[in-house]
Amino acid sequence: MAPTVLIVVALRLWPLALGVNFSFTGDGDLNGTPVGLDNYATLLGDPLFRTALGNVGLLVLLLPVAVAIPGLLATAIHLRVPGHRVYRAVYFFPAVLSPVIVGAIFTLLLGYDGPLNDLLGVVGLGPVDWLGDPDVAIFAVVGVHVWATFGMALVVFLAGFSTLDPSLLDAARVDGASLPQTLRHVIVPGLARTIQFVFATTMIGMLTSMFGLLFVMTGGGPEASTYLPEYYIWVQQGQLDRPALASAASTALFLVMLLVGLAQVGVLRRAGREG
Amino acid sequence: MEQRLSWSFVLVLVLCAACGSATAPDSSGGSADRLVVWDWKSGDATSAAYLDRARADFAKGHPDVEVEFVAQPFDQYYTLLGAAVQAGRGPDVILFNGGGRIRDRADSLLPLDEYVAGDRQRLVGWDAFTKDGKTYASPVTLQGHPLYYDKALYERAGLDPDAPATTWDDFVEDCRTIADRTGATCFGVGNKEGIGIQFFLSCMGSAVLSPAEYDAWTAGKRNWTSPGVKRIFELWQQVDAAGLNNDGVNSTAMFNDAFALFQSGRAAHVIGLMSDVGHWKDFAEFLDPDDIGVMAAPVVDPAATPSLPYDGGIGYGVAKWTRDPALAADLVRSLTSTGALAAFSADAGAITSDTGIDVSAGGPAATAIAAGIKTGKPALHVALPSTTVDLMGRLSQQLLSGSTTVDEALAQLAASDRAG
Repeated sequence: MAPTVLIVVALRLWPLALGVNFSFTGDGDLNGTPVGLDNYATLLGDPLFRTALGNVGLLVLLLPVAVAIPGLLATAIHLRVPGHRVYRAVYFFPAVLSPVIVGAIFTLLLGYDGPLNDLLGVVGLGPVDWLGDPDVAIFAVVGVHVWATFGMALVVFLAGFSTLDPSLLDAARVDGASLPQTLRHVIVPGLARTIQFVFATTMIGMLTSMFGLLFVMTGGGPEASTYLPEYYIWVQQGQLDRPALASAASTALFLVMLLVGLAQVGVLRRAGREG
Repeated sequence: MEQRLSWSFVLVLVLCAACGSATAPDSSGGSADRLVVWDWKSGDATSAAYLDRARADFAKGHPDVEVEFVAQPFDQYYTLLGAAVQAGRGPDVILFNGGGRIRDRADSLLPLDEYVAGDRQRLVGWDAFTKDGKTYASPVTLQGHPLYYDKALYERAGLDPDAPATTWDDFVEDCRTIADRTGATCFGVGNKEGIGIQFFLSCMGSAVLSPAEYDAWTAGKRNWTSPGVKRIFELWQQVDAAGLNNDGVNSTAMFNDAFALFQSGRAAHVIGLMSDVGHWKDFAEFLDPDDIGVMAAPVVDPAATPSLPYDGGIGYGVAKWTRDPALAADLVRSLTSTGALAAFSADAGAITSDTGIDVSAGGPAATAIAAGIKTGKPALHVALPSTTVDLMGRLSQQLLSGSTTVDEALAQLAASDRAG
């Protein structure tokens, strides 16, 4: 027990504590000087950080879509649509690609003079500045993130399906239930815990794993419309040499993650009791 | 679960209260007989001869000292450097960009004035590495923003490639002619990272501001509400609105997409660089070197006198925690020796800080840039604090999309500049 505690303290809590402590010191001429909550006050007053937090809220709103896509595709695979084995491999394939590669590919595809806009031109629709329009760019980046990562969630859903009693699906089929009815009354209740788990992991992935895509696809722009806290932290630390402010933002992100995590733990526990 | 979590938090807070600053920059990356250099150039083939010459020059005076170059990826360079400095394990000699990049980190560096006095006259570009009267690095290259143009497109459009427009109105007229007759846009611009405005401000600044206002700006007396400054940002907006830029500017990367537009003959002009990337030698890989022209910024206000905007580009500084400052400074002097810089100029095409080096072999563009150095002035954006430059990038995107006005943007920039 004691060695485990030591490892946790030395490798987890101690670095975390250093980071939190650093957030209470100053940058530049005040390097190492205690400044109390000044960095947190700066964060609250920084429209850029508020934009980043606002985008976290947007991700939460988009979360059901990010979960529904792999859920529906897993349902189709489980119901053995023609070619389901191929689809299982194809859907999973992007999960093994580096976000940088994915970002580079979609930067080309979504370029103003890229193939997608060429296609739109062929069907008579005007070009869309997918990565240069502040109202569109965040959805483009999140869409690519979902594309790149839903394979893992799909695997989790398929594992969940393996625990689903097949007699329930057979009964629904015999009773003449439509697909939407089967989804609503059999599959969703039967996979409740799986769905909640995918909600939790997808949310964490969105908050902590989009840096590579943002860096390659938009650089946080246009107009900072695609900033997320993680990207903000990198800019403050690496580009503007404000590591203490970056530490404060990291601590804020940690608290956000903690709140989201606690909420998810609560939901899962309630679901477990219901199960 | 909640109980365990609460205890974790208490432990974190206790640990916080127990520890001091995270910084302890008191140890060196090297030793008495070893110097560690961080850069983002030593991995490039075009830098090999330059570094060989610098090593040889340094070895003449210090044959027993080992020099280790550690190449870092540029897009992560300042992040890694910041982490190294905070950890107190920084290198001895550090490559920096001039301007805000080094000034923001001057408190980690050793003033070099006493060591580099002998290089003062030979090299130019010192100001970009100076803060509060102290010099923190020796310049290797000069970085500036010449206005390049494609002489072949001018010819195809029936314009005289050797006599580009000297006034803004004539320039716009020529651009329309080029667009009509060749299909090329006037400017190849990339503002995805928000750096398009930096190039535009510095390239066009001397064609709009009077010499006195220009000098006041670089001296730190910046009037963000002056008609001239407002005119520059209005031009930035109007150029795009008039269709003089390529489409999708805010989603086009400067490196390499905007330059590719110029190199491939799809844009007649580009505000490029003069160091070792995005410059005449890069363009000459695709265009005939004789077709690459460099023109003065077309005059917008008759009171203005266009000049080449340039500063020190990259330079080497010495970390203040190095064990032997004189030794590290000697390495910096070797890295800026004439022989080493001549090799860098020949292989990388850089306009170096040693203006005695002959660049005529580089073609007319290199010759034109070199000729402009004597009358050139520091670039306007380099004088700004990093936070203001960062803000300017975002505001420039808003100006192009119309989600802010020039007056609103200038008010924000003025406030940021005042705050430093």
